[in-house]
Amino acid sequence: MSDTSLRGKVAVIGIGLSAVGKVPGRSPLSLAAEAARNALADAGLEKSKVDGVLSSHAFASPFHRFSVAFSEYFGIRPTFSNTLQVSGATAATMFSIGAAAIHGGLAKVVLLVAADSLMTGLTPDLALRSLTESRDQQYEMPFGIPVANTFAMTARRHMKEFGTTPEQLAEVAIVHRRHAARTPGAQQTTPITTADVLNSPMVTTPYHKLDCSLISDGGAAFVLTSAEHAQALGIEKPVYILGCGERYTHEHIFLMPSLTTTGAVESSQRAYAMAGYRPTDINVAGIYDCFTGTVIMMLEDLGFCRKGEGGPFVADGQMSHGGRIPSNTHGGLLSFAHSGMPGALFHFHEVIAQLRGQCGERQVEGAHLGLVHSLGAGFATNATTILGTRGAL
Amino acid sequence: MVPEDSNRKPLPAPDADTAAFWRGLQQGKLLLQHCRRCRHVQYYQQATCRQCGRDELEHRPATGRGKVHSFSVVHRAPGPAFKADVPYAVLLVELAEGPRMISTLVGSDPEGVTFDMDVELAFDQVSDQITLPRFRKA
Repeated sequence: MSDTSLRGKVAVIGIGLSAVGKVPGRSPLSLAAEAARNALADAGLEKSKVDGVLSSHAFASPFHRFSVAFSEYFGIRPTFSNTLQVSGATAATMFSIGAAAIHGGLAKVVLLVAADSLMTGLTPDLALRSLTESRDQQYEMPFGIPVANTFAMTARRHMKEFGTTPEQLAEVAIVHRRHAARTPGAQQTTPITTADVLNSPMVTTPYHKLDCSLISDGGAAFVLTSAEHAQALGIEKPVYILGCGERYTHEHIFLMPSLTTTGAVESSQRAYAMAGYRPTDINVAGIYDCFTGTVIMMLEDLGFCRKGEGGPFVADGQMSHGGRIPSNTHGGLLSFAHSGMPGALFHFHEVIAQLRGQCGERQVEGAHLGLVHSLGAGFATNATTILGTRGAL
Repeated sequence: MVPEDSNRKPLPAPDADTAAFWRGLQQGKLLLQHCRRCRHVQYYQQATCRQCGRDELEHRPATGRGKVHSFSVVHRAPGPAFKADVPYAVLLVELAEGPRMISTLVGSDPEGVTFDMDVELAFDQVSDQITLPRFRKA
C-alpha cells in the first residue's frame, strides 16, 4: 500500500437523514438542511467547523450549484465545494472525493449532503420525464425509451444468458419489502408476494411496477474528517473509508461493452484491492437497487456469487439476514425510498449505522466491514466504497 | 436542449457530427463511420474514431440487416407523446457490420420479438427533414 492510499485515512463521524418518503411542501434545500443538522448533531460538531461541502444535483431545485446554494441556506462559507454528477454513482464519489480532499489538505471537515423532492416537489410523471429527457437528443429520445427500458434490456439479456426467472426478480422486491418493514420511516412496508409483483402493471418487459424503485422525497448528510481529527474529537464509533473504486464504460446503451457484465467488476476490484479485503470478508452491503434485476447482476459483479447465479442466490435467501451477504437491510430504493441522487446515500446511511451497531432488530450481528455499490445511467457509471470499523483497519 | 412540447415526439436536431447520418437516412441509407486507419466501424457519428482517436473517418452505407441482441416492450410510455403507441418494442440490434444501435420495431406484434431475431431497417419519414431508422422483422 503506497503512502498516498486513502485506506483508513478518513472517517465518517456523523450521519443524518431528513424526513423521507412523502414529504409535501419541503424544498430540496430545506430537506438537505434538516439532514445536515442531524448529521452534525450526530458528530457533535457546530456548523462553523464545516469547511467543505459536496452535493449532488436536485431535479426539483432550480440551483445548478446545489452545494453553493445549500451553503448559503445553511449559513456557512466553505473553502471547498462542488456539486457532483455521475448519476446514481454520485453518492460514492461524494465519499471518495471528500476523503481525497481531506487527505490532500483541501478541507478539514467535509459535509456530504443531498436531497430532492421527486414525489411532491416534481411529481412522479415529471420526475420520470426529466430523467427520460436527459437522454441523447438524436439517437435515443426520438424512439420513446423510458428510463427503466435500458435496465430492462440488461435484465432481459441476463434472463436469456443465465436462465434468470421473473420469479427470482420478484424475490428481490419481496426481500426489500421485508427489510423495509423493520425500518422506521420506510416508505413501503406492506408485505408483498410473488403474485403481487408479477400481477402489478407491466412497465417495460420484464419489469413490472413492483420491480421498479420508488419515487420519493428526502435527503441524507454525512460528516467526514481525518482519522486523526476523529480521534482528537473523541468520536466513539468512527467508520473508516477503506477502499474506493470507479469505472465508466459508456454513455449510450448501444455502446455498453456487455449487457450482463458491468463496470461494477472493475470498480469493486479496485475497492477490494485498496481495502485489502475480499468479497467473502464483507459482512453487510448496500447495493443500488433501482430495479430488481440490477441487484441480481450486482451481487455477481461485486463477487458475492458467480456470474449467472444471482437469481438462485437471492431465491436461496442469501441477501438477507443469516444469508451470505445481508444487503439493503433498510429496504433500499425498492421499499425504503428513492429520492433521485440521494437514493444511494440511504444505502451509505444504513451500512454505516450497521457498522456502528445501531440497527436494532435488523442489526447484522458483529458487522465490522461493509460495502456500498452505487451505479447509474443504465450501468454507465459504477462506484464501490468499502467501509469498516476500527477493528477492520 | 430546447424543451419540447410534451405532447409532441422529440425530433433530432442534426449537428456537424451527425448531418451526414441524417441526410443518408433521408436517402434510404443507414451510414456507419469506417476508420481508414484502424478499420474500426462505429455507429453514433462523431468527428473522431473512438478506437484510435484519428479523424480519418468515412461514411459507408450499412446493409441494414441485423439481429436482436436484447429488447424490452414498453407498456408505460415515457411521456404523453408516446402514450398512443404502447405497447411497442424497443430493440437493441447488432448490425451485420458489428455496431449495435437502438430503435423500435414496426410492422409486427411487439410481443413476438425473440433474441437473435433477424431484422432489417425500415425508414420512417416523420418530417421533411427527418427520417428515423426503425426495424422490421426480416
